[in-house]
Amino acid sequence: MTITEPQQPKTDLPGDGHMWFMVLGDLIIFGAYFIVYMVQRAMAPAAYLQAQQHLSITIGVLNTLVLLTSSWFVAQAVRATATADYERAIRLICGGGACGVLFIAIKAYEWTTKITHGYTTSNEFFMFYYMLTGVHVFHVALGILILGIVVRELRNTRRRRLSMVEQGATYWHMVDLLWLVIFGLLYVMR
Amino acid sequence: MSTTVLSASGGDPVAPHAAPASKRDLWIVFWIFPIFFGLFGVIFVLLARVIPPPRPDVTTDQKVQWFAAHATTIQIGFAAVCVVFGGAAIANGYVAYQMKRMSSGPTFAYAYMGSMAVGTLPGLMLVALCFLAATLRPGRQPRIIALLYDLGMLSFNGSLGCFATGYLAFAIAILYDKNAIFPKWLAYVSIWQIVTEVIATQMWVSSAGPYSWNGSIAFWLAVIVFGFWLNCQGICLKLATDRQPAGSRPLD
Amino acid sequence: MTTAARSITYAWIVLCAITIGSWWLAPGHSTHAATPSVAITTAVVLLGFVKGRLVIQYFMAVNTAPRWLKLATDAWLFTLWAAVLAIYLY
Repeated sequence: MTITEPQQPKTDLPGDGHMWFMVLGDLIIFGAYFIVYMVQRAMAPAAYLQAQQHLSITIGVLNTLVLLTSSWFVAQAVRATATADYERAIRLICGGGACGVLFIAIKAYEWTTKITHGYTTSNEFFMFYYMLTGVHVFHVALGILILGIVVRELRNTRRRRLSMVEQGATYWHMVDLLWLVIFGLLYVMR
Repeated sequence: MSTTVLSASGGDPVAPHAAPASKRDLWIVFWIFPIFFGLFGVIFVLLARVIPPPRPDVTTDQKVQWFAAHATTIQIGFAAVCVVFGGAAIANGYVAYQMKRMSSGPTFAYAYMGSMAVGTLPGLMLVALCFLAATLRPGRQPRIIALLYDLGMLSFNGSLGCFATGYLAFAIAILYDKNAIFPKWLAYVSIWQIVTEVIATQMWVSSAGPYSWNGSIAFWLAVIVFGFWLNCQGICLKLATDRQPAGSRPLD
Repeated sequence: MTTAARSITYAWIVLCAITIGSWWLAPGHSTHAATPSVAITTAVVLLGFVKGRLVIQYFMAVNTAPRWLKLATDAWLFTLWAAVLAIYLY
């Protein structure tokens, strides 16, 4: 293995403090939503569990794999930018964005099947399901927009700032991270 | 007080020995922001008792009793609102003024100003007028009083979409601003504001539980984030006023 | 491939493996009525913590970030999942 990195571990802050402030705040706010969900669930566990059974775990796993893969693309894109391989970085970011679009498409399909089966906000569990996945999918859409801005940055030969790419990547990974919690709480736990 | 002589091009102080232009007008307007919102807090929390809101899942009799119990403070509080609510226009107008100093253009400032202005009617005045009316004329039918209760609370909590639009303009303007009038993190806090307020719209669907207009998600989380955001905006407004060069004017 | 790029791929592999494994734990999977299970939920909580930490440390590159960020993200992970488990068990 060639040593391409210095021996001294670097402690760089990826991106900038503003984006981390945003990410940490978002994690805290979502954390509050998750706690409220758990409290409400604890007041009617049997009803929630019964409703949870109507979620398709296959779709949940698929969505999770799609988003994890998108994060792989985006993380690799940051490494490519750091080694000045800008063309590869752009391709990787586009791959990540494509996965994001796929995630939204699968989510839309899932919502459609749930609604046509009559699982709507009248059920408390599904109220949380739609709210949490809805806010999350809004974050995914925003993330795709941000990835678009990152691609524009990478195409601009006068810019190509690593910090910008890292900021976009940090936001995108946060979206992935939040989905992992939603997946665990809504689809898997009993 | 000395006068500042303007050159033919306008806006540039000419004589180097003239006293520097004063920012007194800016500071007068700035202080209206914390004073108004301080009053808003006292009125809406302590006097009118709509923050936190009374429950939606109550009977007509309970609504009538609630108004009877709080009639005096509602009348004092909301009558005061009718006198001071112009402060909202000035406070938000001053934010728009600072936004006009941004390189992202005046459009966002006008969008912000418009959204805040339109939102004030359902988001501030309607609950004041409905609740005032409900406490007057003691012989009014209970079902009409119940209607005023619902109308006031629904307009107060349900009009958040208007403000969310304004905050979006605010956030985008900050992110694209090269003059750094407001710091980027304020844009991100504004986005949290938007998200929590959009979630709060679920109160139209639920009359009990976390999504009702007094629920942990639709109300408490949203109002905590709002309080945090408002304080941040106020602090950033003061910093922007501090740093504004005296005598400068925003682009038009 | 640099070590950073390689660890990103390893993390991804582990994350996908855990995710596919969750398929068997979920209540939506069983054909009969699902029953609550402390063991499964505890597993979900622990796995959730592990997955979250992998994403934060390797994807978000927090493993080479300043200490305050490492502490803040670990604190969030721990507080969230501990609270989830505590509320579930209460």
